[in-house]
Amino acid sequence: MSAVTTELIEQFKAEATRAGAIVYEAKDADDANDYVLKLARERDVKHAVKSKSAVADEIRLRQHLEKAGIEVRETDLEEWIAQLAGKKQTGRKSVEQVAELIFKATGEELKPDPQVLLNAVCRTLRQSCINADLGISEADAAIAETGTLVMASSEGNTRLVAVLPRFHLTIVDCGNLVSTMEDAVVRLKSLGESATSGGMPSYVTYITGRNTTADIPGAILARAQGPAEEHILLVDKSGKCSPDPLGSGSRG
Amino acid sequence: MSRAMTKRVHKALTDENLQTALTRLTGLIKFARQIAFEGVDFDSLSQEIRSVKEKSIANLPELVEQFKAEASKAGAVVYEAKDAHDANEYVQKLAQERNVKHIVKSKSMLTEEIELREYLEEAGIEVTETDLGEWLIQLAGERPAHMTGPAIHKTIEQVAELISRATGQELGPEPQLLLDAARNALRQSYIDADMGMSGANIAIAETGTLVIVTNEGNGCMATTLPPIHVAVVGYEKLVSSWEDAVHIFRLLSRCTVGMKMPVYVSHITGPSRTNAILGASSLGASGPGEVHIVLVDNGRWQMRESADFREALYCIKCGACLNVCPVFASLAGQVYGYIYQGGIGAILTAFLHGLDKAEDPASLCLGCMACKEACPARIDIPRMITRLRARLAMEKGLPWTSKVAYRGILKYPQRLDTAVKIGSYLQKPFTDKDSIIRRLPYPLSSLTQTISLPALSYQPLRDRLRDYSSLGMVDNPEVAFYSGCVAAYVYPELGGDVMKVLRKCGAEPYYPVEQACCGAPALFAGDAETALSLAKRNIAALEGMSADYIVTVCPGCAAVLQREYLDLTAAEPEWHQRAKAISSKICDFSQLVLELTPLAEKKPSRNQKITYHDPCHLKRGIGVFNEPRRLLEREGFELVEMADADNCCGFGGKIVLDYPELSGSVLKRKLDSIEATGVDTVVTNCIPCVLQLRGGLDKRHSNIKVMHTAELLAKSL
Repeated sequence: MSAVTTELIEQFKAEATRAGAIVYEAKDADDANDYVLKLARERDVKHAVKSKSAVADEIRLRQHLEKAGIEVRETDLEEWIAQLAGKKQTGRKSVEQVAELIFKATGEELKPDPQVLLNAVCRTLRQSCINADLGISEADAAIAETGTLVMASSEGNTRLVAVLPRFHLTIVDCGNLVSTMEDAVVRLKSLGESATSGGMPSYVTYITGRNTTADIPGAILARAQGPAEEHILLVDKSGKCSPDPLGSGSRG
Repeated sequence: MSRAMTKRVHKALTDENLQTALTRLTGLIKFARQIAFEGVDFDSLSQEIRSVKEKSIANLPELVEQFKAEASKAGAVVYEAKDAHDANEYVQKLAQERNVKHIVKSKSMLTEEIELREYLEEAGIEVTETDLGEWLIQLAGERPAHMTGPAIHKTIEQVAELISRATGQELGPEPQLLLDAARNALRQSYIDADMGMSGANIAIAETGTLVIVTNEGNGCMATTLPPIHVAVVGYEKLVSSWEDAVHIFRLLSRCTVGMKMPVYVSHITGPSRTNAILGASSLGASGPGEVHIVLVDNGRWQMRESADFREALYCIKCGACLNVCPVFASLAGQVYGYIYQGGIGAILTAFLHGLDKAEDPASLCLGCMACKEACPARIDIPRMITRLRARLAMEKGLPWTSKVAYRGILKYPQRLDTAVKIGSYLQKPFTDKDSIIRRLPYPLSSLTQTISLPALSYQPLRDRLRDYSSLGMVDNPEVAFYSGCVAAYVYPELGGDVMKVLRKCGAEPYYPVEQACCGAPALFAGDAETALSLAKRNIAALEGMSADYIVTVCPGCAAVLQREYLDLTAAEPEWHQRAKAISSKICDFSQLVLELTPLAEKKPSRNQKITYHDPCHLKRGIGVFNEPRRLLEREGFELVEMADADNCCGFGGKIVLDYPELSGSVLKRKLDSIEATGVDTVVTNCIPCVLQLRGGLDKRHSNIKVMHTAELLAKSL
């Protein structure tokens, strides 16, 4: 893919802002981490939930927040298990090991039946999302023409992370910016084809700006049933947007 | 028009809360719409939606098979329901088998159509609507007033009362407070629910995907938190690809609430799945492990078979047509009596609930075409309403009064002349000195309820212009003047003005005396037979002297001559050819004057401010709205634009006869915006509009003069 132009970034920022999102362009990894932490502190965030994010992993956002005393719960199942296990990328756990981890985390003693475990895990994860103050996601694509975030997942956790907590923050790697909705479809289709399961992921959610309602007479009101604020953190992980990739200096 | 409908209309017009809610709303919608369409090429975007829908409905059988196969492959269960009962029963059985006690539901017009919520509630299952507007309607025990804004007919005070009652809190009319309370009340429902229910805005065949659009976020929660998701989807929602769906998003929210994009667009392909625990794929991670899709027919396939009404299936349920409908702005949606509101609602009702149920809703159409102009799928709603009325007339037969009026009198110009002459005697006792009838006795009293009527002329235009002699200038363009009934029988002096101005412009005008009523009243009442007979008569009369132009002062007539005659004569090739020749010559008065005098210079200012009212059939019917303004400015008048110059005056259709009170309500908004300009003359190019505006202003004792452009020019020549 060719480099993402400044115009595209500016268009995305303008459209997302117009739709009610708050956009911040991070200079580097530290700036990104500090921004999220500051945001969380200002909003009295105690619990955060997070869906899968390569950028967050790379800049170690979770650890940064945890260090500051904010609890961050992974909601992608595999990530959650890894979080419980305390290490990353340790290979697939056996059913018994998962049961053991759940027992440690929740005190629930469950027989090592995959469906039983799955149900229990989901209950826990769902509850985490319901209780969370902040949801952290990463967009699989972002559409400049409308300022739209595109998130794909098969488990559905990204949707809960995006909608249930009081605040929602989405990390957008500039390299994932596309110009139009058609471009986003092309990208989604190629994601679908390369996925192990084949076909489209169960959930593809487009989020454009902040949720609203026109159902209470008088005005269009922000924060209907979703988060009170929709934050977008633009980072340049892949270095496709500027000569200086993330972490090696600021971009002009 | 039934007595019940008349009552409902009266009730709505006199319901203070409803009128307050509507007045507040109209401004909001207009403002949002204006912003949403800035810099948007509506024509090309709507053409894209139109193409997608045409293609999808044409290929529907293939799409259904593909959708079923793909959705099943993705792990969803697809059920095809032939009617409301079939769909309801399937969902209820499923709910009972899964021991479902509580359902959360995101908004769906289809579930309203089949009354699924009521069906489940009767079976003892608790169903909570989660769209805020729909929830309010559920609390109030009512039906939605609008496809996308179910509770728009409620005032903030009423909403406060509903939410207070539901939450047990004492809440004042504070929007933010009410919203917070509503959000908190609904949140627990999602968490407790055993089943989530939704409709779908789009269903994508290539991947078996459902697309659900919400702005509040309730759709995401209702379809993700509960362990089972049931989607109830009309067949017409199917499109082929994700790319097709994109075309729909581009306009959907702009039309609905004036937003560029919906806030949340969920694409759901099968149930939630994960590989994390079993190593193999298992269902039901953070989302539901079970997804059921109920495809509902309930009259849709029959609609698809109907050449006349198929395009109603192109409706994307955005509600844009309601947002611009002058009748809706006066009544909101509940008067229509069935689920779907407005003109499109009348068509849908005919197929989904039965033809007989559509008669009342269809009677509420002014034929102003505002809906057609606003529709993102370019659905010709007014035309379908005409067809619907024709079908109703065919099935039920016309009432005897209409039969006498159309087949006994209207059809024969001489009889109509005589009838009018008789009328002009009978009206004498009720006519004031200034030839205006301000009050008619019962049973005609309703006609003078909202407007004063002009007296019928004793000498129709035909008699006045019978001997109108030509100047004999063979090189001058020949212009046939088609007056229409209002000019012929009510304002015949206008005929003289038209002739005078055209002559002055170097034309050779004449009045074909054989002309008759254009047939519109019969056509729109469903009497196609009379309309065809009149069409032939007028075609013959107008082609008589091989005119270069045919000029009209009634755009309603012009639209009929130009377009409807083509339709009416479709089965008779010879007449159809002749209708075509006539059609190409039709022009509006202002259009013609400009064309005859292309080199005329702008006149010096007359220091006279005027405002111009766009007749519906002139602007939206034959696309003329610049020319009248250009001509007036060229003639030295200063044009002050009124707000919503192209809103209907309320004279359209049979509304003025069937529902004078409703017509008056539409007229009121028009007169308000005329008066707000502060000018003393309103000009328009439609003689029925002149009648309505004069009548309404007279009732207000206003000094504002109403003039047809021909009249104004004749006076100032």
